[in-house]
Amino acid sequence: MQATIPLPLLILPTPHQSHAGAWAVLDDPAEWGSFSQQTDAHADAWESRMAIEGMHCAACALSVEAALRSVPGVISADVSATSGRARLVWTAKVAKPSDMMRAVSNIGYRALPATDAFMQDSRRKNQRLALWRLLVAGFCMLQVMMYALPAYVASPGEMTADMQNLLRWASWILTLPVLFFSCGPFFSSALNDLKQRRISMDLPVTLGILITFMVSTAATFEPAGWWGHEVYFDSLTMFVFFLLTGRWIELRMRDRTAGSLDALMRRLPDSVERLNKDGSFTRIAARRLVVGDVVRILPGEAFPADGTILFGNTSADEALLTGESHPVAKRAGAEVIAGSHNLAAAVQMRVDKIGQSTRYAQIIALMERAAIDKPRLALLADRIARPFLLAVLLAAAGSAAILWHTDHSHALMAAVAVLIVTCPCALSLATPAAMLTVSGTLARSGVLVRRMQALEALTKVDTIVFDKTGTLTQDRMVVGRIFVETNSNQAVLTEAHALHIAASMAKFSLHPVSRALVAAARELPASNIDVGVNRVQELSGFGLMADSIYGVLKLGSDKFCKFDTALIDCLAHDTSMVHLVSKHGRLASFEIVEAIKLDAVSAIDEIRKAGIDIEILSGDLPKSVDAVAIELGIWYAKANYTPQDKLARLQALQQKGRTVAMVGDGLNDGPVLASAHVSIAMGQAVPLAQAQSDFVILGGQLAMVPHLIHQAKRTMRIVRQNLVWAATYNAICVPLAVVGLLPAWLAGLGMALSSLLVILNAARLSRSFPLATQKN
Amino acid sequence: MDILFLLIPLSVVLVLLILAGLWWAINTGQFEEIEAEGERILHDD
Repeated sequence: MQATIPLPLLILPTPHQSHAGAWAVLDDPAEWGSFSQQTDAHADAWESRMAIEGMHCAACALSVEAALRSVPGVISADVSATSGRARLVWTAKVAKPSDMMRAVSNIGYRALPATDAFMQDSRRKNQRLALWRLLVAGFCMLQVMMYALPAYVASPGEMTADMQNLLRWASWILTLPVLFFSCGPFFSSALNDLKQRRISMDLPVTLGILITFMVSTAATFEPAGWWGHEVYFDSLTMFVFFLLTGRWIELRMRDRTAGSLDALMRRLPDSVERLNKDGSFTRIAARRLVVGDVVRILPGEAFPADGTILFGNTSADEALLTGESHPVAKRAGAEVIAGSHNLAAAVQMRVDKIGQSTRYAQIIALMERAAIDKPRLALLADRIARPFLLAVLLAAAGSAAILWHTDHSHALMAAVAVLIVTCPCALSLATPAAMLTVSGTLARSGVLVRRMQALEALTKVDTIVFDKTGTLTQDRMVVGRIFVETNSNQAVLTEAHALHIAASMAKFSLHPVSRALVAAARELPASNIDVGVNRVQELSGFGLMADSIYGVLKLGSDKFCKFDTALIDCLAHDTSMVHLVSKHGRLASFEIVEAIKLDAVSAIDEIRKAGIDIEILSGDLPKSVDAVAIELGIWYAKANYTPQDKLARLQALQQKGRTVAMVGDGLNDGPVLASAHVSIAMGQAVPLAQAQSDFVILGGQLAMVPHLIHQAKRTMRIVRQNLVWAATYNAICVPLAVVGLLPAWLAGLGMALSSLLVILNAARLSRSFPLATQKN
Repeated sequence: MDILFLLIPLSVVLVLLILAGLWWAINTGQFEEIEAEGERILHDD
């Protein structure tokens, strides 16, 4: 491509361009430990984990695998498209890590050492343990059911006592792994609750499991004893299996988005070029930097630490930290922050702050703290369930006490019946079943649910706070009005012609404003006017300069063009402008505005119709914030807000008793997102904001916000129905069980049917619903 | 029916054996990357 167009003076590499030099540092064996493990000292074999970027299907994974296997010295390579990870075994006698990186890069992907391999491993270990618990419970349940079946179908006297005992012992043996292994999480969580003097679903679950097991065990080994002769191993294992299934699905959903944190950690470069005493540069690992080092940052690289520019002029993309998309000019003496990208030219910087003291690290820390401070929302289910569960425990004890004097076995039977009939299945499934179903439905329409409890809070939201950039507006800028100079002593241009000239200069620059001009010119009918633009120079932070048939042309800011915007007779004084001037004077001015999202107006209207207040809190300049606010008809719009200001405003609203939802984008919204009652992140947001928000709208469509509120209300309606049903069922069955009128088998059946009904009711949520906006 | 006295203990052992097999399957990653193997057949290499 560069062969066909004239080379601009400054070629801006993309931020993701790889540097061959960066890989060389990985060839130092001291670095291997961070992403590899030596598996065989004799053969010098290493097992490495790499993150592969740019893959989106299984075919990609196969070609990356093939490329890696073709590197001499690579013994095996496994690439997973879904997790974006590669596992490599290689021998250091032949292969070098940089060869593998290069091989992947040559076929168009990007490989990075996965330094968080350890974390990845522990996550996988947890997942495997949960699946293993579930499968143990499932298989034991199936077999215990088989052993229990004869007791249900045999008529009295048909089965010999020996045979009955044998079946019970077999059931007992297979219940042991369920009890001691699969139930582990219930027991430990119930124990924790007890220590903290709380009561949660896990306590009655544990109690039910333990008492059922004790009664059944006693009945197995001493059928004539005063514990009675009924066994409930089948109910016990089935119940555990159901509960574990629900938890396993929840764990899977949670882990799916956890990977987005990895991407954020990769924002800091792995290696940098440090200045030696003799004036040369050496590439070293970024974590070996110390305060006072001088490093050279190439265009496209990220700054590794907070510091000061010593030599060179450049512009930096700090959007990652500020959420705002304007490149910031950085000259000698300017401060740069870790994690921002160097856009324009190679610069040397002095390292001032490293590691935890950088602003980047502080924002992450602030965010984590805000996440801990968050008051846990009480589940609707918990509010009903807690007193109810206490009552059930009392009822079981009371039932046993009342009937104790008549017959021990009868009394215990009744208590067990109470515990089984109320086996909190229906009650505990009521909420998660509905929420799991709706999160699946939402995922299909492009919304990820990160915290299910937030669905409840969302139904009560009465104020929504929006960030501006990337949330209400698109990431890019567009050209608004064009003002052509008419009273000058030179040829008057048409608007289209002016735009054409500006675009022919702007196409040599990657500045967002330049891109807006080029995009606007592309919409025009093709023009064959050649203005002979050549020798384009970009003056970072000011504008562009070029030769043309009009002489020297300048395109840029007020200061650069020596032109006062106030001279233009229009209402556009408060907006950003770029001007096109020749040596004779101004030719034209272009208004640069942020484009609001296409669905913003209708979505905001919809939210307002639902009786919800809307506010904008932005870190951007007043003029651009006001423009958006006026266009959307939002009255409360504040500009120049730092994250702390936003947090303060949010807390003020919350103290007034408002339930606040925050819709944001960008890393500096992180702490604000975390402390709102409900947080919604737009999909283009940086990964950290994704990881901390309750919902992620993958496509970034604003129409999804009212849709989400609608779905949340629907979900809570179903949850309430489920809870009412579960409560009614219990209200009828518990008294019967307490007075000993309900046989255990009927109690078990009632429990199973009541939970089935709850699940079926929740399944109604899986029907996808048309978008609320399409209904109108 | 006396054979049941042998078969039922056997079935307990069988379940334990199956569980051991599942343990091996989980810990060698058989349940991760479920789609990949199916798609592999569609590619030449």
